[in-house]
Amino acid sequence: MSEQRDLIVDTAERLFGDLVDKAMLDSAERGDWQQGLHASLVENGFHELGSAGSGTGADELFAFLEVAGQHAAPLPLADTLIANAWLGTIEGASGIGEVDGDVVRDVPWGRAVRRVVGITQGSREVVVITAPEVVRQGANMAGEPRDDIALTADAQRLQVPVDPGHWLALSRVALMAGGLRSALAQAIRYATEREQFGRPISKFQAIQHTLAVMAAEVAAAGRAADAAVSAVGSEREEAELAAAKSRCGEAVAVVAEAAHQVHGAIGFTHEHRLHHTTRRLWAWRDEFGNEVAWQRKLGAIVVAQGADGVWDFVTSGR
Amino acid sequence: MSSLKLDRVGLPESSEALRTEVRGFLEANRDSLPHPNSDFSSGHDPEFSAKLGAQGWIGMTWPKAYGGGERTFFDRYVVTEELLAAGAPVSAHWIADRQSGPLLLRFGSEAQRAEYLPAIARGESYFSIGMSEPNTGSDLASVRTAARKVDGGWVINGTKIWTTDAHRNHFMITLVRTEPGSERHAGLSQLIVDLRNDGAQVRPIRNMSGGEDFNEVVFVDVFVPDDRVVGEPGNGWQQVTSELAYERSGPERFLSAFRVFVELVRAVGDNPTDSELAAVGRIAAQLMTLRRMSVSVAGMLEAGKEVAVEAALVKELGNNFEKLMPDMARLAASDRRSSAFRRCYEETMLLSPSFTLRGGTREILRGVIARGLGLR
Ligand SMILES: Cc1cc2nc3c(=O)[nH]c(=O)nc-3n(C[C@H](O)[C@H](O)[C@H](O)COP(=O)(O)OP(=O)(O)OC[C@H]3O[C@@H](n4cnc5c(N)ncnc54)[C@H](O)[C@@H]3O)c2cc1C
Repeated sequence: MSEQRDLIVDTAERLFGDLVDKAMLDSAERGDWQQGLHASLVENGFHELGSAGSGTGADELFAFLEVAGQHAAPLPLADTLIANAWLGTIEGASGIGEVDGDVVRDVPWGRAVRRVVGITQGSREVVVITAPEVVRQGANMAGEPRDDIALTADAQRLQVPVDPGHWLALSRVALMAGGLRSALAQAIRYATEREQFGRPISKFQAIQHTLAVMAAEVAAAGRAADAAVSAVGSEREEAELAAAKSRCGEAVAVVAEAAHQVHGAIGFTHEHRLHHTTRRLWAWRDEFGNEVAWQRKLGAIVVAQGADGVWDFVTSGR
Repeated sequence: MSSLKLDRVGLPESSEALRTEVRGFLEANRDSLPHPNSDFSSGHDPEFSAKLGAQGWIGMTWPKAYGGGERTFFDRYVVTEELLAAGAPVSAHWIADRQSGPLLLRFGSEAQRAEYLPAIARGESYFSIGMSEPNTGSDLASVRTAARKVDGGWVINGTKIWTTDAHRNHFMITLVRTEPGSERHAGLSQLIVDLRNDGAQVRPIRNMSGGEDFNEVVFVDVFVPDDRVVGEPGNGWQQVTSELAYERSGPERFLSAFRVFVELVRAVGDNPTDSELAAVGRIAAQLMTLRRMSVSVAGMLEAGKEVAVEAALVKELGNNFEKLMPDMARLAASDRRSSAFRRCYEETMLLSPSFTLRGGTREILRGVIARGLGLR
């Protein structure tokens, strides 16, 4: 199981490493659909991760999304994999947003995907739209397309076997865990290359401590994300997810800020790659419930145990 | 460079069974509890330590030949976290169990192991750490306390300070310079000082919370026989640094303020506001994550992996958490009147400055992490 996950992660690392570059990120930000990248992923079967019959499950799906987050892969991959896992695999991409009256809001790449899924928090019924009609084009603060799609009368209504809101929030957790690792790696690389006062800035203790603090946050976010993924489908699903969405969001606040500080002015340019990571981190922490929204949910779970049940609650997370 | 990836490790089923046992024991010993806070160094209770020894909960991972239990690090983890969370008085045996025992197992002579370990495991013999000196804090390699070779042993002169429980414990493993004129990491040795019989002068130092837990220990021509040198003379630096790895990632590095969280939840009661829920959830999220990280390190230790950097990560985050959490709780409980909360908060707050100092300061740990990142 875990060997398979490692293999998927390694293959994905290589593929994204080879294909996702600054030019592609800029092109995607201008709104160009990255069909080449999508086709490569389909060719390698990544779009089926977690689908029935693929021999993989949530563990592999979210592990793959972590790598996608690390590379800021400019496609609606969370949506595509999750929709395939819930509803059956198609070759085209999917986008998932929340139903709001007669539209599905903020659908990633709604303008380009073949299938749009609308979810409602707390419900297992989803709507599926196979000929999406864009009513408003928009983008999140990372410039990733987030479009509103018309909820038409012919949309199918289907039950899915999981809590859709949980899966979407967890996808952002996985993306954040990967993005955080990338922000740290970029900052470390830059600090060892950039010289001032006659030496690499990584030799200054202030910079070393900044990077150490980032590393601790990244490790925490990674461990929290992993705990949430392994709790999928268990009675701890909501609690572990809540902890992870909160903890990863808090890590973003520290890590994105520090990554920019270490990079100096160059990291503030559009030319530099760092912002493709940091802007996504800032966007993802807000999507499908920000830190406070999930802290309240977790708080309610904890308070319901009563003061003398708190410790048992903490330790029954395996 | 360390990958900084903490393995997906959970506690095994068998350790969970042990948890039930520990909770039963704690229930039966309600009278010794709860100590109003969960700081590992603030309740010294030999009677309680002896009871734990009788349960087989001290020296759990050591060989049976020395009174140990030959159990896993996971089992030890469960016992220690249960004791801390309950606010059990564990200070008497804590250092001996966590640090001095493993040190003697690794570097001590056969005779030393046979002499000291079984008594530690019974919860009857307590150890202190003699590292810091008035002019030696973070820069441990600058120790000046010296031991001069004489016939049959060593004569120590100098001063140790901040020595936790030296006035209550039996022994202190003391880092001294045994080669005259040696510098830095060379020429250091660890000697076992018998605090009750060798003639070292122990003077308690009152801390800002009013407690008298740490001490100044003055040596004026104190004789220690040869058989109380741990390991080879001159090998002290290597020994002392290996000791620190054990010290850094355990549950005591993030649970010191845990009782404040419990009292916050109690104060908030059945009618929490949204902002109280968010505060409780925020603290819980950090706590749950830290515990998983710490269990991961225990698992990596069990698997024989090198964990110095990972342990430093846990201590860095854990100490900051236990230091800042009382304040988060204070603000969250602003609208609640609860004397239990206030008492617990005040006591923990007054201890909190020490959390990021003892066992290696925050700044030193960040340096360790930076080295792990390949920056130094
Ligand atoms: C409650 C408590 C119990 C203790 N128990 C024991 C014990 O049982 N046995 C024992 O031997 N010791 C004990 N200590 C001592 C503890 O190990 C030291 O406090 C610690 O090593 C720091 O030394 P210091 O206090 O002299 O501070 P210093 O080393 O003087 O440091 C002062 C400040 O300067 C910073 N600093 C120092 N060097 C650097 C550097 N290179 N870069 C950046 N910043 C730096 C430190 O991080 C700190 O913020 C205890 C301390 C406390 C608070």
